[in-house]
Amino acid sequence: MTNEEKIRLIEDAFELKENSLNQETPLDDIPGYGSMAKLTLIVLCDDEFGKKLTGEQIKAFKTIKDVIDFMG
Amino acid sequence: MVNPLDFTGKQILITGAAIGIGKETAVLLDKLGAKVILIDKNENGLKEITSCLESNGHHWFRHDLSDVDGILPKIKEIISICGALDGFVHCVGIRCRRPLSMITPVVLNEVISLNFGSFVELIRCITKKDHFNKGLSIVGISSVSSQIGSAGVTAYAASKAAMDGAVRCMAKELAPKSIRLNTVAPGQINTPAYADLLKINEGTEDATLSRQYLGLGEPIDVASVIAFLLSDSSRFITGSSIPVDGGFLSS
Repeated sequence: MTNEEKIRLIEDAFELKENSLNQETPLDDIPGYGSMAKLTLIVLCDDEFGKKLTGEQIKAFKTIKDVIDFMG
Repeated sequence: MVNPLDFTGKQILITGAAIGIGKETAVLLDKLGAKVILIDKNENGLKEITSCLESNGHHWFRHDLSDVDGILPKIKEIISICGALDGFVHCVGIRCRRPLSMITPVVLNEVISLNFGSFVELIRCITKKDHFNKGLSIVGISSVSSQIGSAGVTAYAASKAAMDGAVRCMAKELAPKSIRLNTVAPGQINTPAYADLLKINEGTEDATLSRQYLGLGEPIDVASVIAFLLSDSSRFITGSSIPVDGGFLSS
């Protein structure tokens, strides 16, 4: 999966408009980025990439690039 | 001196027995004199817990209860080997945390089937004639989630509320057979599942604990109430859900 496709997945999971995110977007700038959005990322990484994401790892994420790098 | 929790000569089936509350219940009932029959899909866990029990004569069976259709033959096998049951404790379950947008029909069916479907099917099979002794007591592990809404636990909470609702009906239906059914509704308990939850979502669980003003519960706190509900001391209690929640529901 390309990085662009991963970003589209995240946009879809967060119910954001297409192309509203890019690799440099800070996570804290995403509207409604809170505990449910973090839970959404955890489930997304597990369902789509089989990767277990912990609370500590999420805390360390600063931008969308950090998330897509984790997705692998 | 009379011990109201003497289970000598009693045979109790426990599902989800390899870990957490199920494991603690097995250990406690063994100490109280019961013969326990343990079911779990984790064979190594079953062997480990059986080796920790003080007395002999216990049994374990590896079975994945998400295979609901396989429950009837498994119960028949268990009864033919071990004999009729005096108690049944349903501890197996998955603690699903997902936003609503990610609860697909497949996920929902998986949670409802394991947490609730297997509970009803086990009771259906156990309450057939010759499978139980007079005074059979059944206890399911529900949750405070069945009564208090929290974001991200829709499927889990619904499966536990389903258990509570079914228990109220089955208790009436099975009372003529001298069978009692209840659930316990734990709050946050110090189990491996809780440790996993902390890893995933630091902070949120502390907020839950602020309502649970007796602090974090231990598995023995729940196992003790299960033992009471299995015993004749609770012979006038059926169709109920008993909170074991450190005050959570009162807060």
